[in-house]
Amino acid sequence: MQKAFLVDSSKCLGCNTCAMACKNQYHQDTGILWRIVRNIGHEDYLHDENNILPSLVAYTKAPEVDGLPLERFYSSLACNHCENPACVEICPVGAHTKDPDTGICKHDQSMCIGCGGCVKACPFGASKFNVRLGKAEKCSMCWERQDDGKLPACVQSCPVEAIALIDIHDPKYANVGEVGAVGINYAVDAATKPSTRFIHPKMPKKIHRL
Amino acid sequence: MSYSKTKVDAILNNGVSRRGFLKGLLASGAIASFPGGALARNEAINTKIPYLGKKSYETFRNACPRNCYDTCSIKSFVKDGVLQFIEGAQESTFTNGGCCVKGNSYVRRVYSPNRIKYPMMQVGGKGSGTWKRISWDEAMETIAKKMLALKKEDGNLLGAALTKYSGNFGITHYGVEGMFNSIGYTTRLAGTPCWPAGIDAQNFDMGNMWTNDPEEMKDSKYIILWGVNPAATSIHTMKYIYEAKKRGVKVVVIDPIFTETASKASEYIQVKVGSDGLLALGMAKIIVDAGMHDKKWLKKNSKGYAEFEKYLKTIDLNEVSKVTGLSLDLISDIALGFAKADPATVWIGYGIQRHSNGGSIVRAIDALVAVTGNIGKYAGGSRYGHLSTWGFNYHALSMPKPEGSVGYENAKTMGEFGHGAGGDAEKPKYNDRYLNINKTARELINATPKVKLLWVACKNVFAQDFNRQQMIKAFTSLDMVVVADQFFNETVKWADIVLPVATQFEEYDVNVSYWHYWLSLNEQAIKPLYEVKSDIEIAALLSKHMNRLEKDSCTYPQHLDTKKWTAKEFNKGIYDMFGIKSWKELSNGPVKAKDKVPYADGKFTTPSGKYEFYSEQAKEYGHTALPEYLPVREAYDKFRLTTPHSRFSLHSQFQNLDWMEDINPEPCIYVNPTDARVKRLHNNDLVAVFNKQGNLKVKVRITDNVPSGTVLMFEQWYNNKIYNVNELVDDTSSDMGSFKTGAPGVALHDTYVNLRKV
Repeated sequence: MQKAFLVDSSKCLGCNTCAMACKNQYHQDTGILWRIVRNIGHEDYLHDENNILPSLVAYTKAPEVDGLPLERFYSSLACNHCENPACVEICPVGAHTKDPDTGICKHDQSMCIGCGGCVKACPFGASKFNVRLGKAEKCSMCWERQDDGKLPACVQSCPVEAIALIDIHDPKYANVGEVGAVGINYAVDAATKPSTRFIHPKMPKKIHRL
Repeated sequence: MSYSKTKVDAILNNGVSRRGFLKGLLASGAIASFPGGALARNEAINTKIPYLGKKSYETFRNACPRNCYDTCSIKSFVKDGVLQFIEGAQESTFTNGGCCVKGNSYVRRVYSPNRIKYPMMQVGGKGSGTWKRISWDEAMETIAKKMLALKKEDGNLLGAALTKYSGNFGITHYGVEGMFNSIGYTTRLAGTPCWPAGIDAQNFDMGNMWTNDPEEMKDSKYIILWGVNPAATSIHTMKYIYEAKKRGVKVVVIDPIFTETASKASEYIQVKVGSDGLLALGMAKIIVDAGMHDKKWLKKNSKGYAEFEKYLKTIDLNEVSKVTGLSLDLISDIALGFAKADPATVWIGYGIQRHSNGGSIVRAIDALVAVTGNIGKYAGGSRYGHLSTWGFNYHALSMPKPEGSVGYENAKTMGEFGHGAGGDAEKPKYNDRYLNINKTARELINATPKVKLLWVACKNVFAQDFNRQQMIKAFTSLDMVVVADQFFNETVKWADIVLPVATQFEEYDVNVSYWHYWLSLNEQAIKPLYEVKSDIEIAALLSKHMNRLEKDSCTYPQHLDTKKWTAKEFNKGIYDMFGIKSWKELSNGPVKAKDKVPYADGKFTTPSGKYEFYSEQAKEYGHTALPEYLPVREAYDKFRLTTPHSRFSLHSQFQNLDWMEDINPEPCIYVNPTDARVKRLHNNDLVAVFNKQGNLKVKVRITDNVPSGTVLMFEQWYNNKIYNVNELVDDTSSDMGSFKTGAPGVALHDTYVNLRKV
């Protein structure tokens, strides 16, 4: 099993409810978001001071898109819960683990020594560095909520079901969404094999402007 | 890596009883395994607010009381007396288990270090910033003494004014008006800045403002979202629109702005601002000319259709095309598509009626829907809003005047929607004095007899009211300004006394929506923090002090309990409508009113009992009897400024929280690329936006989401940032509003500005 987020940019309204629902659940320090809603084609004014992008390894970037207007189409991204996660690989103390049953990449901050390896290794900037604590932190797909029969906070709160939870090893979901993102800073073909799947945005069929 | 002790202290210094909470976590062993969060006591302990399993929490029912279509039903999770997180109630198919981005920031709002914690007095004078903490007794005694002094000086209490609006729409919050009722005849800032022109329009047409259940929209066959952007303002309705669209239903967005909603529609039509009324009339003409109007429905249910048809003959379609900026083919396509579909529906946004011709636009769209026979139909309707589930007792509001009270003679009576209406059945000798809320500054300055004391509740006057250059003059001319609020906003800056108000998690209340049909109980989930009190507890305390100083000077009960007062709001009508036997059942979750399609029986509450194309009432109020086209206010500067609601705030609430700043850090002005070229602007340039009213500085974002000639800024309050769109908005009235709300609305989208790079 490899649990994964399916992000539907054809439905996403960019409302950031998912990002705030994550804060509502975990109360991350001011300035830290585990989930970031990214504006397809217009990322220039977005900055994230809690991680380093691009990562140490150069990857192919997601293809550019033309003609998508400012602040109208989005990809909501947190940890991609990779099949071969770089964070698990690099962590010297085993704070990052990959759950063998669900494929969720978990982070246990109590073990973190703050070396920052994961922050630099992750091609997607999923691990954030908490300057106040001197430790890393990231999305663990609300595994505690899932263990308790609940959906992750972001999935449950999305008002239009633009984030879903899928199992990419389940043949049922084999053809759901695309492996790569478009129009945002995203490492396509990363060796870590990110599990997130994307449904790409579409403009309305007819647009009549003055 | 460095630690910042001061930063840690700042985060910690918000007074929550955290020690016990952390002890609980340590005992449970949970503290070790979670990453750092804002509740960490010091750098040695790292913890986030963990999810500990359902059984670890006490849960409570809450509701979001903000001025919002969605009025979410909330479930709150509390541990050791601390609100941990919230979820949308899953019992409500509308809220569907999730609040919006704003609702999800509530925990931070409750525990924000910036909350007003104690009563304070601005001892250095208004605007000085020199505040002193005072006790509740000291605060209320000062206010009570002032009230009594006013009464003695003037022989009445008309010098005491109340301005209260939509900061909290919980039913017990009408107890603020009750407080003013209980001291005598006073002055009220009456009317509504929100939706009055549309309310009047729908009342002229149908005798009521009543809308179909939004959940029905999933079954509509043609949806026109006209000047409404639910992706920002009613995000829970989007799922029904998506569901319809998935079934192949055409979703058309008509809006001058390419909104978030437009980007997800089947078809987007950019219309020239303020020409919507003519577009609707043109569409009606095309439908009638094609013989596709619902003759049977019109004959049976309408009055004045013949006159309307005659008026349509005078509409020149080429003129329609010219004024709206749309081709005739396109107008025909939409008109005939709408007429063919059954049922078809229009949702009219509130922005559309914030124009000098706003009411006439709503009447024209109503007429278009009526012509196609879609009024009174399941999944049809001309949707605007409703108050049909609001039939509570208004116990907190209904306070008698003290015996011998003297007031205003020959005062105009208030409409039923006026948020200052007393509700007295028989006509008393005296009345309260009503001033126009939409001209607050002007009214406060010019009122005779003079206003000397102003009480502000559930409202941020400086953020929401217009002509704010005059507002400072108005506030400084008052003897005493009392503001009850949760944060130090600009209105508090110009107050003498500020009183800390409870959040909905700290009091009992009951909530319904003006859009959907759910009823939610709001339970007290946590003990009030610091010294905060609910609005009605403040009223009780004022009563205590007034009666101590002068016996029988205030009829408000001196002791009350928000739970008992919430219970007093319920009646048989509410119970029958929602199919419950007791309000206590609501602690199991929200309930929905029994299904009812508005006007399905063809009964309208107009004078004729029918849908009135021709309205004598409209004529009485100085409008045309027919829904005729009225041109919009002329430009008085270079660019039209439109100031709609941001998805990250509700008026001046939410955007001030640091959590919201993480997501939406700063304001901006959206400028069309053509206009940007002319003004030589680039993204992130700082510009001065100015007009005859005032000016402000803001960063530019260039986008063709806005048409050339129009610039857009969201109406928001940023903490620690000088940004207020009402610097630029004057108080010019819209056409309608006096009929049902006591005062016309404001043509706030008819504001014009110019830009200059700085």
